[in-house]
Order: sequence, then C-alpha cells, then structure tokens
Amino acid sequence: MKTLIVIREKDCQWARAFFPDMHPFLLTICNKPYVEFLVDFSLLSGIRQIRLLSDGPLGEVEEYCENGSRWGAEISYASIQSGDDMQTVLAKNKRFCAEERCMIINGMVFINYGKQADYNAFIAAFPSGEILSCSCGSLMLTGNPSGTRNISPPYPFTLSCFDSPGLYYRLSSDILNDAVSPYVLPGYNNEPLCHIGRNVVIGKSAEIIKPVILGDNVQILGGAVVGPGAIIGSNVIIDRNSSVIHSVVIDHTYIGEQLEVEKKIVSGNMLIEPESGVSLAIEDPHLLTGIRKSGASLSFIQYAVQALAALFILVLLLIPFLFLFPVLKLRGKWMQHNEDCYADISGKILNLSVTAIERGGLFGSIAIFLSLDRFFQLFRVLAGQIAIIGSTPLRVSPENREHLKRMPGYRPGVFSYAEAEAWPVDHDDKAIIERFYTAHSALFQDILMTVKAFVNRIHEKSTP
Amino acid sequence: MKFRIDTSTGPHVGIVTLSGRIDAENSIELQNSFMSWLLETSLFVFDCSDLDFIDSSGLGSIVSCLRKALEHNGDLRLAGMGPKVSMVFELTKAKKLFSIFPDTANAMQSFGKSEP
Repeated sequence: MKTLIVIREKDCQWARAFFPDMHPFLLTICNKPYVEFLVDFSLLSGIRQIRLLSDGPLGEVEEYCENGSRWGAEISYASIQSGDDMQTVLAKNKRFCAEERCMIINGMVFINYGKQADYNAFIAAFPSGEILSCSCGSLMLTGNPSGTRNISPPYPFTLSCFDSPGLYYRLSSDILNDAVSPYVLPGYNNEPLCHIGRNVVIGKSAEIIKPVILGDNVQILGGAVVGPGAIIGSNVIIDRNSSVIHSVVIDHTYIGEQLEVEKKIVSGNMLIEPESGVSLAIEDPHLLTGIRKSGASLSFIQYAVQALAALFILVLLLIPFLFLFPVLKLRGKWMQHNEDCYADISGKILNLSVTAIERGGLFGSIAIFLSLDRFFQLFRVLAGQIAIIGSTPLRVSPENREHLKRMPGYRPGVFSYAEAEAWPVDHDDKAIIERFYTAHSALFQDILMTVKAFVNRIHEKSTP
Repeated sequence: MKFRIDTSTGPHVGIVTLSGRIDAENSIELQNSFMSWLLETSLFVFDCSDLDFIDSSGLGSIVSCLRKALEHNGDLRLAGMGPKVSMVFELTKAKKLFSIFPDTANAMQSFGKSEP
C-alpha cells in the first residue's frame, strides 16, 4: 500500500498567517512536526511509500524529511495545481498509486491514532472510499480491499480538524495532558507528563511544573516558572523571572525577563491568543523576539581578526609547505580529497579539501607538527566560508544532518574547539565541547583556542 | 491625545483619549502633557478604545503617569482596552497595576463610588 498526503495552500493558509517562519507541514505539535504524525500513522498502517503533494513550495519539507529513510519509509514529493480536484490529483499520480491500494490524507487534518495500535489489517480490509471526514478534509482509500472483514464504526482512530490557532492550541494541550501519550513525542521521558530534550539548561532557582515538554537547546534562567501546561520548542530562551503557563512556545523564541505568558502561543515575536485568534507582533526585542542564528555567524570584527590570523599562519607556513608538499606528495604520504560538509545549521553544503598526512619519517612529522594538512582550508577562512576555529566540519550524511539539528551554533572551523581542549574524543564529548564554545565564542578566547589547537596537534600521531 | 475634564459622576475626572500608537516617538509627549493635566486634577481615566498599539516605552510612560497620579493622592484607571493592547499589559504584568474597565462610563462610575 501507499499513502498520498494532499495538502493545498488554502488548507494551511491559517498556519502561514500565524507562523510565517515555519512551513505548515513542519508546524510542531508538542515539538513534533505535523508531517511526522502523518508519517507515523502511515507506518502503523503498514505503509512505507509516502508521497507529499502540495500546490505550494515543498523545499523546506524535503530538506527536513529527505527520503524518509530515518523512519524506514520512502518519501517522495510532487506538485499539484491549486485547482486540481482529487480525480486530477490521482490521475497525475497514476503511476504512484495505480498498482496498489492507496490511502489518501486530504487536507490539513489530524489523525488521532495510538502508537501501540496496528492498523494494517483494518486499512487493508476497509472498502474503497472515504473512511472519515471533517470540515478540513478526509481520509480515503482507493483500490480493492484484501479480505472480507466486516468493518463498522467506531473505527480505531478519529479525524480532527486542524485549521485555526485555537484548534492547534487545544490539540497540543490535549496531547500534553495525556498521561500515557498515544504518540511518540521527542525528548527524554522517564515519568508521565514530562518530556525533556537534549542540551537543556535550567537555572537553579527556575521552577518546572508538570505537565511540560521542553525541546532541545532550551535555556530557562533563574526564577523562571515553566508549566503547568507548557510546551517549549527547541532553541528557546526563557529569561529571568518570567513565567510560561498553559502556553505553547514555538522553536527559536526568546522570552524576555519578568514576563507572564499565560494561555498563549508565542512564535518568535508573535504573541497569539489562541481562542480569539488575535495576534500581535511585539516590536520590543527585549520582550519577545525570534532567535535565528544563535551565535553561528561571525561579526565583522571577528571575521576580520580571523582572516588576519589565517593570513598570518599562511605566511608562516608558506615556505615549509612549498618544500614539504612536493616531497610528501612524491612519497605518497600526502593524500588529499574533497568532501561535502555542512557550511551552517541550515544544511548549506560546502566542498572542503581534506588532507591526510602519514607521520612516518621526519618530513611527515614536521608537516603534522606544522598543521600543513590544514593549509588549503586556511584560504576558506579568507573567503569567509569557514572560521579559523569552530566545530569539526560535519560530512554530509543523513546521520550528521540529525547531529546538525542539535548543534545550534555549528560553524565549521579549520581547527576545532575539541582539538584545542584535547578532549578524550568520542563524538558526544566533542559535540558538548564544541556546542559550549560556539555558544560562548569571544574574540580573544578564539585566538587563544586557535593557539591551543595548533599546539595540541603536535602530539597527534597522524592526521585523519 | 485628547484631554477633557468630566464631572458627571461627581469628582473632577480627567479623561484622556489615547489613539493610534504610543511608542518611543510620543511617550515623552504623553508624560509631559500629563504633568500639565495634573495641575487640573489627580483622577484620570485613560480611554484606550482607539489605541491600536503600545510598546514598552509607551507602557512605561503610562506606568509613570499612574505613579505621578498616586503621588498626588489620585488614581489612573484604564478603559476600553482592545485585545492587542490588553495582551501587552498581560505579558508585562502591567495589568496587575491598574484598575481596568470595559469602557469610560464604567471607569467614571468607579470614581463616583470611591470618591463620594
């Protein structure tokens, strides 16, 4: 079987209006993107091949879901015209859904399912046609059923409308308040009604009251009260003595000091009253504001100092490089290849030259001692593409794409903070060190760390 | 910003009609005008029914007006606050500082009761 998820721009216009920085398919419900709930339901129905259809842009969704392999699914994407009716949509996707039964999720609907259930037999045996519908859309099946089971309502799942901030808020609250959540929610959870993401910092005098969900990289400063009924997205800062009660705070939001957020949705600088749908863009950045780059970008002064440092090292290494490079290359001890790495947290790709030098022999040792394997990367610092010191460049891969999401300050560097700290390297330890220093990056500290990284490399046995 | 004195409920109450935006551009003007209005009365109703937007500096100036009114043994009450303005007052906890009424008439009556 296959799933077609058909959501038109008109279905999600409300989400675009209230959450302009987020693709409606990726709007988070209890910190889980909406589209993931639909994927989960498909998987519980025994369906692995899913196609997302929209008359709007799907680039952001594609970037997030990729080919679906992380869920063990195969996800593809296609466009439709805004005026296409369901028959036209099916005709346009004939090749995808002609041979097998197809489940069609039409419209921005929420399916209330249970993670423990197996809908495989139910979906396979349900006759062709509409299973459930609401004013926002429907759930349908095409193709012939297998088996002859007699199916009558109530069905093991229901369909809810999801077309206003009020419904969004109620849906989120209902899921949050469910002691035994029927959905798999992100975050660590060893007690009911409490999910906590990675890299969460909670001030000593802050108070967290269940039910609560905290996303990744959340900072809750001293005196703040979070909960009950708070859903805090990833990369959110709640400043001193503020309270967030019965509210939803979407990813990348800063909530200033001494504020009271109650029964609201906050997204960046947008404050929304869910029931009335009244929204207000707060203009004071010290009250509410969006957090976009979170320290990942360099200021002009930082860039200028880094470029000067790179130039200085280049000049210093030029003569040894001109002598050692041809010698090591001829002896086959200088291996160089290009690698696609992530340039920043958005997933932009950068092609980097990676050099490996074998230590064996005097020349190899000197080359490593002088960090000549980083020589070519220093030019990228001059071009402003990477930093002289930062995170270890992450090679492009689905696994690293996941890591990237947990590294809000990711900024690839010629030398890494982990090298400077000579940290006993396992991937997680490295990530902690790099996350700390990118978040607390400062001009003189960066220079000091570069020198430390340079010195520490002397002890390396060989380059990677 | 319009100012008038109303005595219909007994005491001399200064009605200040706020409209449009109160932000960094005109918050000082509000504070300065308030000093001259204080010479006429110390009881005020700020009619916010035409107020579309307020930022933190506007909020600061209204709180400063309240403080001055209290220093003169008076009071400042708010009336007819729209949902957006009300959200800012809630967010910043300023709502707890003021007596807020649905409209000017109700705010005026409240002065009548408390100031026989």
